[in-house]
Amino acid sequence: MDEDILTTLKILIIGESGVGKSSILLRFIDDNFDPDQTLTIGVDFKTKRVTVEENCVKLAIWDTAGQERFRTLTPSYYRDAQGAILVFDVSNYSTFSRLDTWLNELDTYSTKHNIVKMIVGNKIDKDKREVSREEAMKFARRHQTLYIEASAKTKDGVQTAFEELVHKIIQTPGLWESYGPNLQLGEKDHVSQNSSCSYCSLL
Amino acid sequence: MDYDLPTEFDLIVVGTGLIESIISAAASRIGKQVLHVDVNNYYGGHWASFNLEDFLKLKQADSKSVDIALEGDSNDKDHFLPIGNSLNQLQHFEIDWNVPDRDNKSDSLIEKNETHDEVEEIKVNKDCQQDVLGVTKEENVEVGPQLGEKELKEKCDTEEIQPVKDEIEQKCDEITQESLRKDSRKFVIDLCPKLQFARGDFVELLISSNIARYAEFRSISRVLTWINGNLEVVPCSRSDVFANNKVSVIEKRMLMKLLTSIEEDEKNPSVTEGTTFKDFLKSKKLSENILHFVLYALSMSTNETLWLEGIKKTKRFLNSLGRFGKTPFLFSMYGSGEITQAFCRLSAVFGGVFALNQKLHGLVLKNNKFESLLCGKQKILSPHIVMNVGLAPESFLKYDKTKLLSRASLITNKSLVNSEKEHMTLLLYPAANNKLCTVLELGSLTGTCPKNLFLVHITTKGSDDPKEDLRECIESLFPVEAGSETSEKPKILWSSYFSIPDTNELNLNSFVPSNVFLCPGPDSDLDYDLSLKKAREIFSSIYPNEEFLPRAPDSDEIVIGDDTEAAKEVTDHSDSVLNNSDGTSETEIALEARASGSDLDISSDVCEPTEQENLKDVEQCSEAKENMQ
Repeated sequence: MDEDILTTLKILIIGESGVGKSSILLRFIDDNFDPDQTLTIGVDFKTKRVTVEENCVKLAIWDTAGQERFRTLTPSYYRDAQGAILVFDVSNYSTFSRLDTWLNELDTYSTKHNIVKMIVGNKIDKDKREVSREEAMKFARRHQTLYIEASAKTKDGVQTAFEELVHKIIQTPGLWESYGPNLQLGEKDHVSQNSSCSYCSLL
Repeated sequence: MDYDLPTEFDLIVVGTGLIESIISAAASRIGKQVLHVDVNNYYGGHWASFNLEDFLKLKQADSKSVDIALEGDSNDKDHFLPIGNSLNQLQHFEIDWNVPDRDNKSDSLIEKNETHDEVEEIKVNKDCQQDVLGVTKEENVEVGPQLGEKELKEKCDTEEIQPVKDEIEQKCDEITQESLRKDSRKFVIDLCPKLQFARGDFVELLISSNIARYAEFRSISRVLTWINGNLEVVPCSRSDVFANNKVSVIEKRMLMKLLTSIEEDEKNPSVTEGTTFKDFLKSKKLSENILHFVLYALSMSTNETLWLEGIKKTKRFLNSLGRFGKTPFLFSMYGSGEITQAFCRLSAVFGGVFALNQKLHGLVLKNNKFESLLCGKQKILSPHIVMNVGLAPESFLKYDKTKLLSRASLITNKSLVNSEKEHMTLLLYPAANNKLCTVLELGSLTGTCPKNLFLVHITTKGSDDPKEDLRECIESLFPVEAGSETSEKPKILWSSYFSIPDTNELNLNSFVPSNVFLCPGPDSDLDYDLSLKKAREIFSSIYPNEEFLPRAPDSDEIVIGDDTEAAKEVTDHSDSVLNNSDGTSETEIALEARASGSDLDISSDVCEPTEQENLKDVEQCSEAKENMQ
């Protein structure tokens, strides 16, 4: 249960429209694949508990909510993320050449300087391939990111991608330790101990 | 751009200010197809927040006008109105550096102080010209390997000056313009800083609509006032009252009696209409101290505030106590600009299409009704359009002169009232000109400022001269003469002054077609409640029978864990939602709605001293790591 969880990690999935970001997310979370899914609507973020090296961590994986289409992701989307998955479609070269722009976005907006980045070449089930494994690996090496090939359709690589990413994050000191007592507003009120004696209780 | 926008929507929203963003979220939430566009390449309009470099660029962008060249094919029957008017602009922008350009040990401090103005002005301008929109050069310097020769040299220089980041804040005279700008991204400077009342309408909406999950907050930890030439803590709790040696026992009773009876006073007024709140308080025979606390701090009134308004404001303060922290106020982490983005995110999650940095040419009217928006080379149709007033066609507005908010944002080297613990401070400064200046001091815990520096935002209802409007307040709080090192007061390292048009009292509905809705910009209130009210009004004019921002389902409901315990939990929750949802569940189910327990991410604990200590450790740890690299 919650007290067993070592930490919660925020992970972003970014990349061009139509490369299969939501499909990868849904495959990982629900083990589902919808070949007819067109545009992302209603996918916000999903959480999943995973165990890495005997540590239970909760992943909060954020989808773009379609805001990548016109490059209008809000800066707040990137806030405090510990990991980012940059997806491209191996059967569409232009989605690969756009990775530079996405890496730039990450550098501009991510608030953690040591955020762990992983490039995922998706749709390796397709016959027609425009980006070779070698080229993608070379690119990833040049940008010091992890690289994995995957297919949300056949399940290949999806699980491994998330595991590797989490593994790397956990190994990065200073990246994932809980960063403090900010308030998130919920149904329950947070009355701190020393404020329980406000005016109201004096009356 | 790779994609063209679709050309037909249920609603077009122009401008990403708070009111527009709330309406966008509310419309998307009930299933309307929303197009949300802005001419800027950032979210928020006059509600936005910027890092230091981007803030400096605003001074130039100030004069940027909307491109009104018509490329569309509108024919004679159509009535074309170009977009944009002067209300979109920040005015009277002024920026001053009170630190040396860069650390040059051969110069004496005094010499630098004498020459800094001229030198820095040139540098600011030079830098502003490079790359107005995209990534700044400085960021590249921080990031990485693709350095030009010149930048590399600059980087080396910088590193020589600051071998260890922690040293930036050690001594005030080691802080340079260069060191501040190098930390540009640690600053988040609000154009329009706002606080929320813990039990205000806005906070209730964030919670009820589930938008709270997109933002984090911190409780303001102390409220100060300015009395008899000194800063005093306004007691917000029993311990504050007892700790305050300026308030006598008799006064404490007096205060409590007043606050208890205020409810009664509202129902059975013992005063005539037109009585000011000040006179009302005087009739209660309060001491000068207590009168000051209640009038200027608790109720945030001026000498002219009427008694009923004063009572309502006092009650609002009292009602919000004891919910989230020591004071009634919350500040959103990483600046107020996050809030508009939270609404935009919800809108996008429910299908809203967002496009920033758009070339908006104008509106096409047919039969005196809005028909379409000319955006880039596209003509986009919609039955309704919601626009920020600053982006509306000139002919929709008739006004002589609009009101202004006077703003100052300062970077200082220490807190107004030093203490061991880092505070987030609200100060209400009653100026002699009968205006209340709202002073917000933010430290690194808010994520808007580097460690050991403070960001101070001052706001007041303004005239044409923000510097003059705020002079009294600033001269009281900070040393008047630069270089008076003996002063205990914090030193201003950097200052900016500007005016924001306050369009809340303009007549926005009289000169527009019936399917056009104009949204005012920021108001002078401390919180968002007035803006929320306006957003709600516009929403219900467009969609009279629709619910305003019903609870959004948690999309992270499915917790797949190894343990069956978790799976059971999910089932339980989905049951409860189905039971509770009273027929509104249809859309929710379609969106895979099975609300999870609110304990997922929503309920972290409140700031307690011990945790803050932990936080410090973590921060030190990560900073230490930065230094190692």
